[in-house]
Amino acid sequence: MRFLVVDDSTTMRRIIINTLNKVGYQNCAEAANGREGMDRLTEFGADIVITDWNMPEMSGIEFIRAIRANAATKDLPVLMVTTNAAKDDIVEALRAGINSYVVKPFTPDTIKQKIEAMLAH
Amino acid sequence: MNQIPTEMLTILIESTQEVFEMMVFQPLGSQTPIEGEALRPRSNVVGTVAFAGDRSGVVAFYSTTATAQAITGAMLGIPAADVNGEMPDAIGEITNMIAGTFRTKMAAAGSRWAISVPTVTIGSDFYTKYVSDVRRVLCPFTMGENDEIFVELILTLN
Repeated sequence: MRFLVVDDSTTMRRIIINTLNKVGYQNCAEAANGREGMDRLTEFGADIVITDWNMPEMSGIEFIRAIRANAATKDLPVLMVTTNAAKDDIVEALRAGINSYVVKPFTPDTIKQKIEAMLAH
Repeated sequence: MNQIPTEMLTILIESTQEVFEMMVFQPLGSQTPIEGEALRPRSNVVGTVAFAGDRSGVVAFYSTTATAQAITGAMLGIPAADVNGEMPDAIGEITNMIAGTFRTKMAAAGSRWAISVPTVTIGSDFYTKYVSDVRRVLCPFTMGENDEIFVELILTLN
C-alpha cells in the first residue's frame, strides 16, 4: 500500500508518516503542496492520498480537483487532514471530491480508523 | 466593544488545551488571563496567525526556546535535545492548529472568519506592536513542572 502525504508543514508530514509507520504502512512518499503532489502521483503513483487544505502554490482543494480531473487518478481515495473544520469547509471539501476528513488536532487512532474505513470501501 | 468577550477567551483556552493534549501529549494548566498592554511574557519564540472576517485580529503563541524545543520533541516523538531545525515549523503548526480550532469553535458559535498561514519569529530582543486600535488578552498556561506558554488574543476594534 503506497501513501502520498501532502502538507506544507514538515512537522505535520512527519507526524502523519510516523503514525502510518506505527500502524504498519511503511511505503510513504511526501510533497509540500498540491503541485508537488501531482508530480509525485505522476512519477511514483499512490494508493491513498492524505492532504492538507491550506498550502502555497496549489491548495488541497485545488489538488483534489486536479486528481479528480485526471483519468489516471480520478478514483484515488483521498483523506483530507486540516484545521478547516467549520460546516461550510466540510461541504466544500466533499464537493471537491474528498473521501474522508480528519480535523487537526487528531489522535493517531483517528487517522488509523479513517484509513481502515476508506480501505474497507 | 471595549473588552474581549469572556466566551471568546474560554474558547481560545479550550482550543489551546485540546491542541496540546492531542498533538504534544501534555495537558496544560490554565491561569488567569491578563488583559491589556502592561505585561508581556519574556519569550524567544513567537508564532502568529492572523484572522479576518466577522472579527479581525491575531492569535499569538509565546514560549522560551527551551520550551519550544520540548514541544517540538514531543510532537515528533524525539528527545528535545535531538531537535535541530524542526522547531520553527513545529511552532508554526501548533499556532496554526490553535488558531484553526479556535476558528472552528467560533464558527459553530456563529462568527466566521478566514485565517492566514502562520509566521514564526525567533529572537531575543523584540516587541510586537499592533498599529490598529486593538484589545489584547494574554492567556498563561503551565506545561509540566517547569514550562510556561502564553497564547494571546489580539482583536481589532474596527
